[in-house]
Amino acid sequence: MEITKAVITAARRTQRSLPLQTIIDSDGVEKSVLRILVEEVIEAGIDEICVIVYPGDETAYAATVGEHAGRLQFVQQEKQLGYAHAVYCAREFVGSDSFLHLVGDHLYVRPNGGRCAARVVEAARLHNSSVSAVQATRETLLPYFGAVGGPRLPGQTGLYQVETVIEKPTPTEAEQRLVASGLRSGHYLCFFGIHVLTATVMELLGGLLSSADADEADGSPGAGLSLSAALNLLAQREQYLALEQRGMRLDIGVKYGLLTAQIALALNGQDRDEMLTRLLELLMSRSMQEGEEPV
Amino acid sequence: MSTLVGIITAADEETRNRSLEQFARSASAETLLRECEALDRLRRENENLYEQVRALFFLHSIHRFHLPGKPGIAGRGVIPFRGFEELRNRRFEEAIETFLRHQAQAGPSEALSSGLSAAYRQLGFQTLADQVRRSVRSIAGNQWMFRVGHPSDHPLRVHRRLLRPLANGLFPVLRETTPVRMDLTHSGWSDIFFLGMDFPEGARVLNISIDLSLESGDPTQGQPPRPPVEGYFRVIDRPVLRLASVDLQASAEITTFAEVFDFARDHLGLLKAALIAAGIVPPGMEGAHQPLSDLLTQLVGSGQGIELVSKVNDIPKGSRLAVSTSLLACLITVCMRATGQARSLTGGLCEVERRLVAARAILGEWLGGSGGGWQDSGGVWPGIKLIEGRLSTEGDPEFGVSRGRLLPGHHLFGKDEISEETRRALQASLVLVHGGMAQDVGPILEMVTEKYLLRSQEEWMGRQQAIGTLDEILGYLKAGNIRAIGEATERNFKGPIQTIIPWAGNLYTDRLIQQVRAAFGEHFWGFWMLGGMSGGGMGFLFDPRHKSSAKVRLQEIMDKTKTRMERSVPFAMQPVVYDFEIDERGAWAELHGRAGESEGLADGPAALMPGDYYLLTFPDILRRDPWLLSPAQRAELEIFGALSAGDPALVDVLPSLFQRMLPQKQEDDSQDSLSAMLAANAFDREQHEQIRGDLRSGRIGLAQNRLPTRSLIEEVPPEELVDATTGLPKRFDEIGWAALNAGEVAVVTLAGGAGSRWSQGAGVVKALNPFARLAGRHRNFIEIHLAKTRRSGRLCGTPLPHVITTSYLTHRALADALGDGFGSGGPLLLSPGNSVGLRMTPMVRDLRFDWEETSRQVLDIQAEKVRESQHSALINWARSQGEGSDYVDNLPDQCIHPVGHWYELPHLLRNGVLRGLLEERPQLQYLMMHNIDTVGANVDPGLLGLHISAQKAMTAELIHRRLEDRGGGLARIDGSVRLVEGLALPREEIEFRLTYYNTNTFWIHIDRLLATLGLERTSLEDERSVTEALGRMAARMPTYVTLKEVKKRWGRGQEDVFPVTQFEKLWGDMTALPEMDCGYVVVPRMRGQQLKEVAQLDGWLRDGSAAYVEDLCDWPD
Repeated sequence: MEITKAVITAARRTQRSLPLQTIIDSDGVEKSVLRILVEEVIEAGIDEICVIVYPGDETAYAATVGEHAGRLQFVQQEKQLGYAHAVYCAREFVGSDSFLHLVGDHLYVRPNGGRCAARVVEAARLHNSSVSAVQATRETLLPYFGAVGGPRLPGQTGLYQVETVIEKPTPTEAEQRLVASGLRSGHYLCFFGIHVLTATVMELLGGLLSSADADEADGSPGAGLSLSAALNLLAQREQYLALEQRGMRLDIGVKYGLLTAQIALALNGQDRDEMLTRLLELLMSRSMQEGEEPV
Repeated sequence: MSTLVGIITAADEETRNRSLEQFARSASAETLLRECEALDRLRRENENLYEQVRALFFLHSIHRFHLPGKPGIAGRGVIPFRGFEELRNRRFEEAIETFLRHQAQAGPSEALSSGLSAAYRQLGFQTLADQVRRSVRSIAGNQWMFRVGHPSDHPLRVHRRLLRPLANGLFPVLRETTPVRMDLTHSGWSDIFFLGMDFPEGARVLNISIDLSLESGDPTQGQPPRPPVEGYFRVIDRPVLRLASVDLQASAEITTFAEVFDFARDHLGLLKAALIAAGIVPPGMEGAHQPLSDLLTQLVGSGQGIELVSKVNDIPKGSRLAVSTSLLACLITVCMRATGQARSLTGGLCEVERRLVAARAILGEWLGGSGGGWQDSGGVWPGIKLIEGRLSTEGDPEFGVSRGRLLPGHHLFGKDEISEETRRALQASLVLVHGGMAQDVGPILEMVTEKYLLRSQEEWMGRQQAIGTLDEILGYLKAGNIRAIGEATERNFKGPIQTIIPWAGNLYTDRLIQQVRAAFGEHFWGFWMLGGMSGGGMGFLFDPRHKSSAKVRLQEIMDKTKTRMERSVPFAMQPVVYDFEIDERGAWAELHGRAGESEGLADGPAALMPGDYYLLTFPDILRRDPWLLSPAQRAELEIFGALSAGDPALVDVLPSLFQRMLPQKQEDDSQDSLSAMLAANAFDREQHEQIRGDLRSGRIGLAQNRLPTRSLIEEVPPEELVDATTGLPKRFDEIGWAALNAGEVAVVTLAGGAGSRWSQGAGVVKALNPFARLAGRHRNFIEIHLAKTRRSGRLCGTPLPHVITTSYLTHRALADALGDGFGSGGPLLLSPGNSVGLRMTPMVRDLRFDWEETSRQVLDIQAEKVRESQHSALINWARSQGEGSDYVDNLPDQCIHPVGHWYELPHLLRNGVLRGLLEERPQLQYLMMHNIDTVGANVDPGLLGLHISAQKAMTAELIHRRLEDRGGGLARIDGSVRLVEGLALPREEIEFRLTYYNTNTFWIHIDRLLATLGLERTSLEDERSVTEALGRMAARMPTYVTLKEVKKRWGRGQEDVFPVTQFEKLWGDMTALPEMDCGYVVVPRMRGQQLKEVAQLDGWLRDGSAAYVEDLCDWPD
């Protein structure tokens, strides 16, 4: 399987500024979030990158990725019809090719260096199928993720044959339908935010978006649809694998998300000692102000 | 190898299904004890749950029914107190060890066997209950709820469609309705979890989901049948859990985790159990110290909360339609939908979801300390279905543990299998009723389990027949032959069902069937028992052309029969006839209040709760300052106001609301009748005030009933009394026959008491309760006693006088009943008593003493929690009522109490009955006085002869104590031998050293008794001297303060039980008088045992006691 294209979604109106935030990457260089993502994609061996944006954000985004700007194509999501629809906006860019997909409000860190996306792309090439990165996640976090269920692929480490995909399952449903072998009890394989998908998924999204089931309660067409619904159909249609990642997915859109991402990147890169020292200093000075003995 | 171990572990079914009786009946004590050792080893070493449990029940049965009475087993024996304590604390294994150790040291005895039998039985049930619990917990979909312990970890979120307020400020309301289920075959209770898990092939029921309405006499008034239970869920704008039960008229706002897990605090236990079992407050969070609002923030967002409301439409308790399980399932379903645990927010459920609801209903029932069978949540499924046990297979939590799974499989019958026409024909023919009785079926379910495990021959055959009946009925259903169904269900009720459990039928039901048959002849197609036991929910099948007249007639028959029997049988409510329809939807939900709702009804149903909900909640809301109301509450008031005039569902609410909020004149009718009743029964106000003063000051109380701790209390050695357990010398018989023949004897049956343990305080006359079928008919206690007297009279050639003492509680009912043609063959007299006391609200001190100082059975872990929460609720109740104040908040006859059986013989002297008897029969010298529940006591010539020869003023009958015989006995106290009440013993373990138990049967020499009182025959005419003499004696008798449980009935068949304080004086204390020369004789257990609780009946029937009594009787019919 040839994978030469990538789609990054960053069109959510309320989070338009996230890709523009700057942060020190694990290599010690200050970059925008979008640039870090683009470099993740490039290191996976992919050149053509499509970013789905809120209308009018193209220039600011292009400016923030520096020398990589030439590789980017921008597609506008004109109406705020949700995440699944944002992915669907890239259908013409994707054409009949498989593509790597990342979300614009997450950063990824692997504990021993290296890039997460590259691993997923490699697995997809090797097995010639769609692959989603997943991570064993405690059931208490199920309300935040899509999750997959299926057996382990024989003879492979960390690879699962996906049979079921459910968006934000309840633990009740997860226990009944998403059991995967080898996981601790109460843990499920939840999406990591990186996928390599075949073009079939665009076809499936198209079908789902045109059905009334996908409508939001307020009547907006398609806004109630999740990508997971299409991925669940994909699993019925063709081989679809899940690759267990041991890294960290860092949601920068949540409270202190950016700060946490910064600390994680620093602790995982060349400035590890400096970051550790500063954190310790911070803790000690706080203790001393409160009159406690330093630990 | 042991024969019984061979039966239990046999691979082939035929051997495995052999009964214990077959072997044990003829086996010697030595063989049985050897078998017991092997069985005990088996139950310890074997891993298989059912082999363990069956061994436990074999052991129970051998010790309870087969060892006692065998040569080599001593009648008398000491039960080690330590073993008793271990048993009560549910440390069954240790109790068994203790009893077995004593058996090895002191040799086997009936006393020790009684302890062992109880311990093995309870361990058996405990093992089974533990397995059900494990299975429920390990069902996929339930496990996570036990892992989540912190509010921040809560993985559920309320559905977003419920989170958004509508334009009018209200939140949408999710309304779930669920039909109830009826069991078309009465499957021999085969849906009990344990049975289904061991014998899935035999666990089968035909279960129909139905909607109901109460039949109204006026056809224009009637409502069409509707799903009987409803649950409502909505988000509220306050961070609390608000629970309301419209039918039980209870509501609460909950802010702590502890309150959610406090099931007995109020009448909202079922709603709490539903919240927990649905995972909204997962069971793993019990004991969490965080505020409940933290959890609500996760579920619905900051500052918001959840409201859950339950409603039962006109179905009373005890309907045998599994209303409470259906309601629990309905509430669990609505909570699951609201939190995304069902795929669809509205409409029906899919099969996986229905199964999960059923499993969670079992969990909820366990949490609430109750439990039925697995078919009870059948209403969640639509239409008619066959529910069957399933073999456990790999992957099931039960695999390798039990043969069957906890949850059965459901086969829904399509219209191609059971046609539309048949469904209509069934509806056109069946009349469903509630007969008015609401009994606890718990003991029945235990009996079924036990009998199944023992494979008692008759019952096992009965079960096979019941299984066959199911296939037969299924065939008729497929063929559309309703008439044949009626014939089959009635045959099933009369045959297999009552073979398995004789107590499933009763006289009331028999009379109804008889009258309906007389009225409708061949147009009555058959009786249909709905489940549990009869007398409550029942079905009658008629030729459809006669159904409407049958409904009217059946109501009349039930009303009339109930009126005739209500003093002898506990009824909870007036009988009713239902209208019903098969529900083809099952669990179903609707969302009320659409997005953008502005005009209420203009856009679908308004987002309002049911009308009665507002009756419950508005009075409180309207009394509050308006600015304290939340925006949603204000909006709700406005919208309710705007809609209430036009909406038929709300139109009745406003007038009732006004009525409720305006001050009402105190209802004083019942107070008047209480005063009249007290006056009529010579209530002694002065004595009452003195008792109240003593009670409040602490001079009397439960703790003060006890003898001083310095008293020396010793066991009486066997040489000091006569042992008649194996018969008495012939000469006593001769003396006795001669006295009987000469007319020197009369029988006195004490029937003044209410027998509150028998009916759990229901206030019926125990003496008249037709409790058992003897010689082919249901008989009550009085009939049995009179039949024994008739036989004695016939055998000796001189009819005996029989006196029945009565009280305000029992006199009228007994007088009426005796007019029904009972007779003893001789003079039959009633001796009315007129001493009453007025019950009082208990002192908190006494409540605590009762719960903490006196020992009690520790319950299963969840039931124990429920009980603890009940205790604190009762303490609050006593405080709020005023400790020691008069208890008047109930029917008058529940407020007053008889003052103990000491008074019953003095009444005989005071009311002239004894005088009249002596005038008529001057030769009369002896009385045999016994309790109403000592059904084996007859005028035995040998015992009479013994009493005459010993020339005692009184001879008391004793039996060898067994574990269940609690409440004192015979003792030597500070040197003198006497009977002592359990209440008076300073320490509980003393009772366990006393091996003789008081049967309360006394042989009395009339003249000597009179002499003790300072009277003689001639002075009986002088009323004053009799009264004075009795007064002097009463003052010498100790007064015991006791707590009794009384039922308060309310609503539709609901009952609350309250402990109240009363006092009593007891006849046994007469033996402490130095001038009363008393003798003591030990009699066979079958003669001396007392039937105090309904739960004893099955053992009484099985151990041969019933047959023993039957042999003593001459029935007038």
